[in-house]
Amino acid sequence: MFNVTAILEMPLGAGGITIWSLLYFTLILVIGVLIARLVSINVRRALMDRLPVNERELLTKLVYYGIAIVALLAALPQLNVDLSGLLVAGGIAGIVIGFASQSVISNLISGLFLMFERPIRIGDNINVSDVTGSVEDIRILSTVIKTFDGIYIRIPNEKVFTSNITNYVHNVARRFSYQIGIRYQDDADLAIRIAKDVIEKHPFALRNPSPSVFVDNLGDNGVNLTVFIWAPARNWWEVRTDLLWKIKRAFEENGIQIPFPQRTVWFPERIEVEQRSAVEEK
Amino acid sequence: MFGRYRGTFRSESGEILIEVEEGDGLLTYRRRCGEDKFERILVTRMAEVIINPVEPVNLPKDITNFLMIEFPPLMIEPGVSSTVYLKFPVEFGVFVESARDIEVADIFAPTTQKYTLYGTPTRGLIARWYGSEVYSEIPEVDLYREGVMEFTITNTYREWVEVSRVVFESVDMKIYYGDFVASTATMRILGPNLAETDFIDAPPRPGMVKSIELYTARKISALNRGYLMEWGLS
Repeated sequence: MFNVTAILEMPLGAGGITIWSLLYFTLILVIGVLIARLVSINVRRALMDRLPVNERELLTKLVYYGIAIVALLAALPQLNVDLSGLLVAGGIAGIVIGFASQSVISNLISGLFLMFERPIRIGDNINVSDVTGSVEDIRILSTVIKTFDGIYIRIPNEKVFTSNITNYVHNVARRFSYQIGIRYQDDADLAIRIAKDVIEKHPFALRNPSPSVFVDNLGDNGVNLTVFIWAPARNWWEVRTDLLWKIKRAFEENGIQIPFPQRTVWFPERIEVEQRSAVEEK
Repeated sequence: MFGRYRGTFRSESGEILIEVEEGDGLLTYRRRCGEDKFERILVTRMAEVIINPVEPVNLPKDITNFLMIEFPPLMIEPGVSSTVYLKFPVEFGVFVESARDIEVADIFAPTTQKYTLYGTPTRGLIARWYGSEVYSEIPEVDLYREGVMEFTITNTYREWVEVSRVVFESVDMKIYYGDFVASTATMRILGPNLAETDFIDAPPRPGMVKSIELYTARKISALNRGYLMEWGLS
């Protein structure tokens, strides 16, 4: 009679490998490759908008072959391959490689976290590790920043990830302020009204949250006004530079002046001050 | 001034002048709007220039797709639907068209602009702001400065709701022109701070001409999905 179990358990050659174990080996390998393919497709999709194409493909391949190798290692015992020697050798090699590539792996993991957490994006104006500029590229191992002077700076991702990141454009709007001094004899209410009118006319000085202009303190040389203005985060600098001069000009047109530093000097004895015109002197 | 022009032309209305002149075998597009001037040389066999109102979110530069209209507060009864009229700002779009392609040549407006934040600085959005009264009938408007929006509000919420602002995604905006510039929009109130807004592709009066949209001319594909106002209605 035809006995299937006997055939499946029949040893093939001298290594004690049966058809069963061969089938198991193939099955584990096929399942492993399928999982690797599935995971790599999803990794590719997830990184579609986050990574440049070459780095995305590299990472996808790493994931694919990583899972496939794990599947192969899981399947090899079915062929009576003793992995203990391989594991010992692999372990030692792993420790050596691990020490050698510690910073690379650390940067890689930090890069992945940066891509998923997304505290910064390409084009954002940021400050990280005392470097201020706009983000040119976020790569797997490093982040490239172009400073406002146009200088290229590459920062390892680990440093970016573990540093305090200030992203100036992460929010849609941001506030900036001015301190403007006027003379004591000037009308502060009029100055506030003029400043508010100028701000109101600027398209990108946001209507809401509304700007705020108020007398902040009475200084040594004049009355100090503080101006708070909200602007779109990506346009705040041009609003800031544009408005200050417009406010200054509007003040001047209305007879309000920015005070010079001044000191009142008292003499214990009255002194004569002789005023002579320039014509007389000639 | 709105319409389609072929070859050289000159169109002037108040402070706005638009012309295409020929000189030295070249066509020159020239525009003046108040103090603001713009000029382009058109390298073409026979330029076809189209001037029509466009989505009013492009000036002084393109920073958002959203338009907010603020108006005196309206209290709306549960289950009630009502149509009122609002005013919105007009921006001129000038397009150059050939047999194969259409392109935006110029955008300008005789009015000033103002922007605002809708929502919070962290999660909100920047929108072009415009203030309007609420009208029960189509109001008188300056054709080149303001348009009329036929605005239908429906309160599907179970309580009275106060509304004093509406935010639209301009990608969905359909503009028509004739004696006046017009658009038709809806607002469906879903909760005290939640509403859906959208535009309807139909003029408030028959016989009006449909404007070429900037998004069509710029070949930007966009889904008409309306906008969900999540950060309050007043």
